[in-house]
Amino acid sequence: MKEQGTTSYRTKRLITNIIVHVVLAILAFVWVFPILWVVLTSFRGEKGSYVSSFFPKTYTLANYAKLFNDTAILNFPKMFMNTLIIAIFSCIVSTVFVLAVSYCTSRLRFRMRKPYMNMAMILGLFPGFMSMVAVYYILKSIGLSEGSMIRVALVLVYSGGAGLTFQIAKGFFDTIPKALDEAAFLDGATKFQVFYKVTIPLSKPIIVYTVLTSFIAPWVDFIFAKVICRANAEYYTVAIGLWRMLEKEYIDNWYTAFAAGSVCISIPIAILFVYLQRYYVEGMTGAVKG
Amino acid sequence: MKKKILSVLLASAMVASLAGCGGKEEAAPAPSEGGTEAEAPAEAPAEGEAAPAAGEEEAVTAKLLVWGPAEDQSAESGNWLPTMCEQFAAEHPNWDITFEYGVCPEGDAKTNVTQDVEAAADVYMFANDNVTDLVKANAIARLGGETENAVKSTNSQAIVDSVSIDGALYGVPFTTNTWFMYYDKSKFTEDEAKNLDTMIAKTKISFPITNSWYIQAFYVANGCTFFGDGTDEAAGIDFSGDKAVAVTDYLVDLVANPNFVDDRDGAGMAGLRDGSIGAIFSGSWDYASAKEALGDNLGISSLPTITINGEEKQMMSFAGSKAIGVNPNCENMQVAVALAAYLGSADAQKAHYDMRSVVPCNTELLAQPEIQSDALVVAQNETFDKTAIIQPFVAAMSNYWTPAENMGKAFVNGEITHDNAAEKTEALNESMNTSVVD
Repeated sequence: MKEQGTTSYRTKRLITNIIVHVVLAILAFVWVFPILWVVLTSFRGEKGSYVSSFFPKTYTLANYAKLFNDTAILNFPKMFMNTLIIAIFSCIVSTVFVLAVSYCTSRLRFRMRKPYMNMAMILGLFPGFMSMVAVYYILKSIGLSEGSMIRVALVLVYSGGAGLTFQIAKGFFDTIPKALDEAAFLDGATKFQVFYKVTIPLSKPIIVYTVLTSFIAPWVDFIFAKVICRANAEYYTVAIGLWRMLEKEYIDNWYTAFAAGSVCISIPIAILFVYLQRYYVEGMTGAVKG
Repeated sequence: MKKKILSVLLASAMVASLAGCGGKEEAAPAPSEGGTEAEAPAEAPAEGEAAPAAGEEEAVTAKLLVWGPAEDQSAESGNWLPTMCEQFAAEHPNWDITFEYGVCPEGDAKTNVTQDVEAAADVYMFANDNVTDLVKANAIARLGGETENAVKSTNSQAIVDSVSIDGALYGVPFTTNTWFMYYDKSKFTEDEAKNLDTMIAKTKISFPITNSWYIQAFYVANGCTFFGDGTDEAAGIDFSGDKAVAVTDYLVDLVANPNFVDDRDGAGMAGLRDGSIGAIFSGSWDYASAKEALGDNLGISSLPTITINGEEKQMMSFAGSKAIGVNPNCENMQVAVALAAYLGSADAQKAHYDMRSVVPCNTELLAQPEIQSDALVVAQNETFDKTAIIQPFVAAMSNYWTPAENMGKAFVNGEITHDNAAEKTEALNESMNTSVVD
């Protein structure tokens, strides 16, 4: 009797595990499949955008070589550097914005706190590109729409709205015990000192999250980059470049290079993620020790 | 140390953000300002003096922003645009011109120029279907005087019409734009390539039926019309009655034919490469790829005929032109118009052809034997002259594209059969003549 009970329990567990793993395997396949396809296409030897087989018939590195050497019409290395510069700066600025705003709304009590949070919530409901043309004219009127100022303009566009996306970081700060702040105040710390000596060291996971999301934004945004760069090809970001590769004049020649470009832009994001991931896990598992 | 850096950073970011806010508030009314200025009427034709002799010109210092596609500004494909601009400056010694260049493909002129007309290029290249929107946005100057005469005397009437609205000329055309047929000479003889049904009986052909820039060729072949002669907006698109239903019936059979391949996602070019497909329909932009795929077997011709109810009908493609336009907000109108005229001149077209195989449209140039012997030029011009209609650019044309594309998809998905052909055609006709906006 007793033995039977354990067997049936084991069988049950086995069956559950099998089901769970099969489901997970299917999901993993669905998620990984497109990425695998892009990577394979980036090494494809046959030209053109149409393929009759999943695996390329010949493999080559020529697509990557073309991407970085054939810069006459679509200067990918330049676009890549533009985007990297913009991403680094907008990442710094918006991380500072988000953390500062979150700290204020979480710890300080001031009259406009509630109205500000409500306003941010309502503004957050509107898609950002609604203000696209207005943003362009504002940037133009302060002289940021021409020449190398375009990069500054894009940094501003990607980081300017950061102050409105404080909710997640604020929620995190709320979980840090106030007693810690009070202890610091008793020791004579100012509010700013509490922020960067107590709160910041305790919030690594949320900083990592903010850094990652704000770093990715310039790599994936197309619409603002297009509106602000207009005809200034030397300031194009990778999103515009990749889109141009798929236009009817270029697609046949550039399709495999396009896949190579897609793989390339995932590299800096992946490096940043791998580097920051340990803080992520550390913070999530350790929680905050009161 | 790290913490100090962080605090400095935080402080400076805050200062910067405050400064940024101040700037933005002051600047806020700018858009409306820009709007009113742009409303200044540009009705009068810009009297561009085509500069008869350098001696008569007064000295002018001008800064011109010129927009064209990236290929025209790359050293590897000849650097056409900067070269022509320098030559233009050299021909006018009294004009001290500084050129600046921007990248804007002809088809995107509408979007890029109308976004901010004042900051847009002084001289830019555009595809002729953009002209209605450009005129509406006051972003293109009417050309008059000698420039107008020069354009009219060196281009065919169809090309002049393609950049004119109500008799007013808005651009200096420099090439035609249409699609035609590339075929494999080892699979079809020249005679066989004259009829689509003969071709498809023999081997596979590929046609982009799901692309509304192509599908009308069949309907127009059997007498369907766009806005009367193409300019009468009130006449609407006429895809009604038996003539259109006959085409729908024809297309049902065509798509069902095992030798028919829908040219989607580059399937046509891939088939041409591996030899499984004998003919594709595309334009001059695919010439290099087609030449590479077929080599000496590459045949290029104007569109074939189709056999509907036993009668041979000529397929008709959409054709347009590409032209050079001038921004009415330009400071040195005279210089800008002269530059536009120069970029569209026979010399510049010849250089464009030599550097990038851009098919010229200047009638004198087309008569030259060297150009006459180029199969691509001959095919494109034959298509433009004989087997094409000018793509209408009246505003109501925008209602055409989506229903036509859906019709093409319905053919491929097998939703349209001989039984419901009449009904589906009627629905198509109705939706093409219904504005989505109203």
